[in-house]
Amino acid sequence: MSAKIRWTGAVLGVLGLAMILVLHWMVFFWVPTERTMGVVQRIFYIHVPSAWVAFMAFGIVAVCSAIYLWLKDERLDMAAQSAAEGGILFTSIVLLTGPLWGRVAWGTWWTWEPRLTLTLLLWFIYVGYFLVRASTENPQRGKRFAAVVGIVGALDIPLIHLSVVWFRSLHPAPVVMKPEGPSLDPRMLATLFVGLGASTLIFLSFFLFRYGLERMRQASAHREMAPRETPAPEGAAQ
Amino acid sequence: MRIRLLTGIVLAAFVILLPDAGFAQGTADPSALANQSLRGYTHMFIAYAIAWAVVVGWVISIARRLARVEKALKE
Repeated sequence: MSAKIRWTGAVLGVLGLAMILVLHWMVFFWVPTERTMGVVQRIFYIHVPSAWVAFMAFGIVAVCSAIYLWLKDERLDMAAQSAAEGGILFTSIVLLTGPLWGRVAWGTWWTWEPRLTLTLLLWFIYVGYFLVRASTENPQRGKRFAAVVGIVGALDIPLIHLSVVWFRSLHPAPVVMKPEGPSLDPRMLATLFVGLGASTLIFLSFFLFRYGLERMRQASAHREMAPRETPAPEGAAQ
Repeated sequence: MRIRLLTGIVLAAFVILLPDAGFAQGTADPSALANQSLRGYTHMFIAYAIAWAVVVGWVISIARRLARVEKALKE
């Protein structure tokens, strides 16, 4: 792995970890308790940043995949693959923390309402992204198919965001990204922004390391495929 | 006579139940009501533990794969 990737990843990781520690102090000791939901509302400060990072990761997948289909540059495919892995993990956090919050706030672990259903669909689409990659005998073909899945899957992101506006939904409407401005308590908003910053830095750090890993794998594969200089058999004509 | 008796019972019940009805309609402190009904400490701690577990799991996974590839490249 190049020193540039290693150092940038390490610096982003350390900054992200520091912000996560600040976030935990804010969540558990500083931010006020929400009036109607009580302490369980504090799940918001990891649930929403995880959703933001997942959307950003899948956005990177879509952009890199589109340019990969155009330029056929292997590095773009590696970046898309690395971002997709992070996106799946952060979507998993969203899908696991949401029901814990919903159980207390709504009285149910899960309901098939539009936003939850579309988020689960997003998770399945990007699991499919990896299945498609591995399902073809020709790796180049698998990469092309996966790139198409990566682009189509990202179309689900605006649907998830707008589903609470378009449909009757149990999930709360946006409290930050709305035309009239955020309707959160300033301390809650500050905590949310620290959470967004921390999760973004952590994701970018791991994304760089994951990308570096993919570059090294490619180097290793090229080395194995390169013709080796075999010594001439004994007795052969010189 | 029967109607007077019935009216008296309804009025008495109304007077007796009025404070409780007022409490249920929100005259009590809302934060106290929230604390009574929604105790989500366990759920909150589990949610944060899951987030940590996923992130740490990803770190370990990347580190192990990196070590494996570095070893393969050295050999």
